[in-house]
Amino acid sequence: MFTAPPTTTAATNTSPTTTTKSAPGRPAKRRRVSEKDTAAPLPAQEKDDEGRQWPRLFNGFESPSAADLRKKTYESAWPVLESEIESVLRDANRQTLEEVVEFLNSDVHECEGRGRVPAGFIITGPNIAGQDLLFSQLGDVLAERGEGRVRFVRLKAGEVGNLKGGLKRIVREGMGGVEGGDGGEGGGRVVVAFQDSEAFDTGLVGELVGLFHSWQDRIQFSVLFGIATSVELFQARQLKATARQLYGAQFDVVQANAVLESVIMAAVAGAKAQLRIGPGLLRKLVRRQQEHVAGVGAFVSSLKYAYMNHFYANPLSALLVDGQKLDKEILQPEHLEAVRMLESFKSHVEQSVEDGRLDHARLLLENDDYLKGRINRQAAKRQQYLGKLLQSLALVIATEHSKRSFVELYEAALEEGISLDQSPGPFDLGDAIKRSTPEELIGLIKRVMTVVVDGNPSLHWNGMGIGQDAEAAIDKFEALRADVERLIETSKKKKTSLKSKYSSQSRVLRTTVVAQKVQLSRDTATLTEEDNAFTAAIDDFFAFFKTLVGCEPLSNLFLNEVWQYDYHLPYEDVFVPRPGATFARALSRPHDYLGCACCDKANGSMVGTLPATSILYHLYSEAGASINVADLWAAYYALVGEDSEIGMDERSALVLFYRGLAEMRAMGFVKQSKKKADHIAKLKWL
Amino acid sequence: MPPKKTTNQKAAARVPRKRPATTDPYEIPEEDEIEPPKRRRHAATAAADTDDATVSTPSASRLKKTVATPIKLNGLNGIDTPSRKNNADRSARRKSARALVDRVISGAISDDEAEEGDIAREIYESSEDEEDEEDEEGEEENLNGETEPTTTPSKFAPGRKRKTTTTRTRKRSPTPPRDLPPHEQYFFQNKPGLSKTSNNTLSSLQLLTHDEYFSLSRDLSSANPHKTDITHLASLHVSSFPQWAFELSQSFSLCLYGYGSKRQILHKFATYLSSHPPCSLGQANKIVIINGYTPSITIRELLCSLASAVSSPTTTLPGILSYLTTHPNTTLTILLNSVSSPHLRKGSFQSIISTLASHAQVYLCCTTDSPDFALLWDSAVGTNFRFLYHDCTTFCSYSPSEMEVVDSVHELLGRKTRRVGGKEGVAFVLRSLPENAKSLFRLLVGEVLCADEGDGQGQGQGEEISVEYRMVYNKAVEEFICSSEMAFRTLLKEFHDHQIITSHKDALGTELLSLPFGKEELEGILEELTT
Repeated sequence: MFTAPPTTTAATNTSPTTTTKSAPGRPAKRRRVSEKDTAAPLPAQEKDDEGRQWPRLFNGFESPSAADLRKKTYESAWPVLESEIESVLRDANRQTLEEVVEFLNSDVHECEGRGRVPAGFIITGPNIAGQDLLFSQLGDVLAERGEGRVRFVRLKAGEVGNLKGGLKRIVREGMGGVEGGDGGEGGGRVVVAFQDSEAFDTGLVGELVGLFHSWQDRIQFSVLFGIATSVELFQARQLKATARQLYGAQFDVVQANAVLESVIMAAVAGAKAQLRIGPGLLRKLVRRQQEHVAGVGAFVSSLKYAYMNHFYANPLSALLVDGQKLDKEILQPEHLEAVRMLESFKSHVEQSVEDGRLDHARLLLENDDYLKGRINRQAAKRQQYLGKLLQSLALVIATEHSKRSFVELYEAALEEGISLDQSPGPFDLGDAIKRSTPEELIGLIKRVMTVVVDGNPSLHWNGMGIGQDAEAAIDKFEALRADVERLIETSKKKKTSLKSKYSSQSRVLRTTVVAQKVQLSRDTATLTEEDNAFTAAIDDFFAFFKTLVGCEPLSNLFLNEVWQYDYHLPYEDVFVPRPGATFARALSRPHDYLGCACCDKANGSMVGTLPATSILYHLYSEAGASINVADLWAAYYALVGEDSEIGMDERSALVLFYRGLAEMRAMGFVKQSKKKADHIAKLKWL
Repeated sequence: MPPKKTTNQKAAARVPRKRPATTDPYEIPEEDEIEPPKRRRHAATAAADTDDATVSTPSASRLKKTVATPIKLNGLNGIDTPSRKNNADRSARRKSARALVDRVISGAISDDEAEEGDIAREIYESSEDEEDEEDEEGEEENLNGETEPTTTPSKFAPGRKRKTTTTRTRKRSPTPPRDLPPHEQYFFQNKPGLSKTSNNTLSSLQLLTHDEYFSLSRDLSSANPHKTDITHLASLHVSSFPQWAFELSQSFSLCLYGYGSKRQILHKFATYLSSHPPCSLGQANKIVIINGYTPSITIRELLCSLASAVSSPTTTLPGILSYLTTHPNTTLTILLNSVSSPHLRKGSFQSIISTLASHAQVYLCCTTDSPDFALLWDSAVGTNFRFLYHDCTTFCSYSPSEMEVVDSVHELLGRKTRRVGGKEGVAFVLRSLPENAKSLFRLLVGEVLCADEGDGQGQGQGEEISVEYRMVYNKAVEEFICSSEMAFRTLLKEFHDHQIITSHKDALGTELLSLPFGKEELEGILEELTT
């Protein structure tokens, strides 16, 4: 038996701090009351709170109230989104759940699939992370609907290794109450879900299904399979006998992309999002979803982390308070100084100088109160911008002429702004709108009007409201619609078809029939009076539509840094780490981390002063697939031994060598090799 | 192209038997003209066959071409040899040859064409070089008395030849190529026969014993030249504690990775968390530190400690979770050292930890020591964890409890170590051995335990209990485990190979067998063997 060194600790030891209760002795209830009653926190409470306070920024010069404000803003900003996202996710699965439950409860299989086990094949797609949520929801819904008579058993391949284990689980979870009846009670039903059916041993699934089948006359079994690939592949893996015992239906889960898009609409683009995720970061996040097949959960985490980062580390985030008026007391000289360092501030001042508003520029730079006033006004401007942005996006979506996905449109809108004139561009709708037929135009006007009135619920944009603008827009659209309808009527009477000069039909006619310029003008001339009126209506509509749609790029806005977050680095470091590179850097260039004087000159090369493991790592990267430890030792000792500058004695060097080698092994760089005596095998090529 | 002439002639000399004399020298072998490899093994008949075939069906196009291209003697028929190159190579070469010939024929060269021509020539010549090489080889083979008259490639010939080519090129450049990308380097270094290491061994060096290692390392750690820098690095990590605590409080888990022992940091973090708990006001936070590097760690033990920390009545995972759910004022912070240690790599362990971490009242911060930790978690487990990763390179050396340096190195070197995977190791070895080997081992364990009983407490600690070889053999024969000493030795050899027994001779020369396990472990093994 290996005698462990004296310091060996038990497998788990509770730290001495375990018993220290973090919460102070005072009961929680009383505190909550006092918090409500007194607006200003009591000093004693502040002391209690200290542990939970955020560090002060500006090198500690930030006032505690400003730090507190950031914290409060974060705490009010995020939970709104979190619940929003949750409801989106729940909604996404709702339809599938309904279908599955209906299938399980229906009596269809009573007549059609008599004697067979009803089986639902739920196509979840490759994202197994999402399966958990789906099946837990399914369990909840079944328990709710079944009024206790339906028992739901979830099986995961990892937990069920063999038939015995599987049956044990099913009996334990599924038969708990039914056992006494043992088939006597007809009401009891057991739904067994194979969550990751692909991971199950094929034989096991077959055997279980066979057993369910043979018990079918006594216990009503139903099975559900979560399938990542396709039912065909699943069937191909099963025996025909098994397939014959199943009576199945297929259900598709909403694809991850669609879910992601609705999450982005609600939580990133929507009006409830306090912080704008910059286009660069958003693109990166979306790409990660697609490339890494990460679940929506990963996206939500990243989003949350962006919020955390912004409010925790950016002192200016305090300027993003919910109220209209920022308390002037909060703003301290450091805030103003920081504001004057912002890119958007600089460009704003430069712009003012160019426009000849020298006073304004000077006041911004020199007068603190003037700047404070400006800062206070930016909140309103932000709201205005967001309103315009969402209005434009909602209207663009309503035209149904854009070929891009919402996420792409949103990114483009933040990055380049929205302009319908820019062609080719993401918002290049002009041609499509102009080419529409009278009926299409009427449909378009209707859709646009609905959006103007009701807004877009998934973006939480409530329409243009009841202001003058909105009324004017409605009147305008109403008038246009009436015009077009009248034109349709007239042309019907005349038994001609109404068309505009843009409509592709006339163009097709002239190119296919005759391709000469003389005929071209004649063709246009054949437009009737109504056609011309219709063309004018289209032009009118488009011109008015243009006034409603359009916004600036986000980065053009004054103080956009306060409410925009577009940094890649923290996100990448924290969610997509590169441990291999980190280890390699630490070992090959320890100076990067240690900043020591002795290894300063090494600069990635090998010197004797490096830590032993680092020297071994250098030697290791030069070595071949098989390493002779004797030679490794000789090389190492030559660097640090008595003949070198370090002058270490042999035994001490050997101790460090041992330690380095053991660490290399623990990190998975080398393993034992039996090819030759005292050789080890290389395992990593970095 | 004068230098190529010789080889071309050679090639021509070898080939023509297969083709009618009228063959156009520029004719590039079409796909179907290259005989299927099957035939080439019987060269004589094959040649006759093809001859017949070509004679009986003279293709019109071919005749035409003979008329059309008068420059027969240009000596370009090197292309004519059915190349051993792969198709892509051949067609590139064919095209470039065509281009060259066309140019010669047309005569007129514009600037543009000249450039093109250069490229074509380059392609042509580069493959020519290789051809040369192969031709030489072919020659060699012929000299070696290979009687096969045709050098048309057979399916088997190229394999052999290619081998010789590669070895030859390797000889030409003994220095390894530098700055290869990692994957190329892997393939380069793993070429068979490449690894040439010296025959030096560590026999002249006296290996370290545990005692020597510990006494020396104590002195060394105080004299570490980087000590202050390491402390400084640690202080940098300490400064991000508030951030980490904030992240924990936002129901993320933390994973600290990077080179060096993170045990100290985690302990400091525990102290910090005790005064700055991640939970909200009014919640009681319990902190549990788990040392994942302990070899004897088990899931049950872990759950027990967690249950006792939150004073949950049940020690099962669902029990603890439901207890937490019903007691919303209790939170649990788990600080896990070395989540990627070999003892915790089982999927069940990771999924249990992740299920714990996904609970809203459980905060998890773990450290990992190997760069491959991400492979531990599939996406479902990973989603449960909600990890934020932080680079926490410390450069601290591992404490003796974290890493068995001497044993680890000796194991790496294939030297005798005192521990062989314990009970599990033995069970694993025995599972792959025949029934009588199991019986023999059971017998051996029984004997050793008996001897231990007999000796009572008199045996000094660390002294292994040995039994006489002869006695064990006799017993084994009695129990019909083996019939001859040969068979007995064979069985013992198997045990020796797996280092689950050791043998030595005492002063009198009696051979003794002993088991490198402690008493408790032996009892455990016996229990497992008899059930």
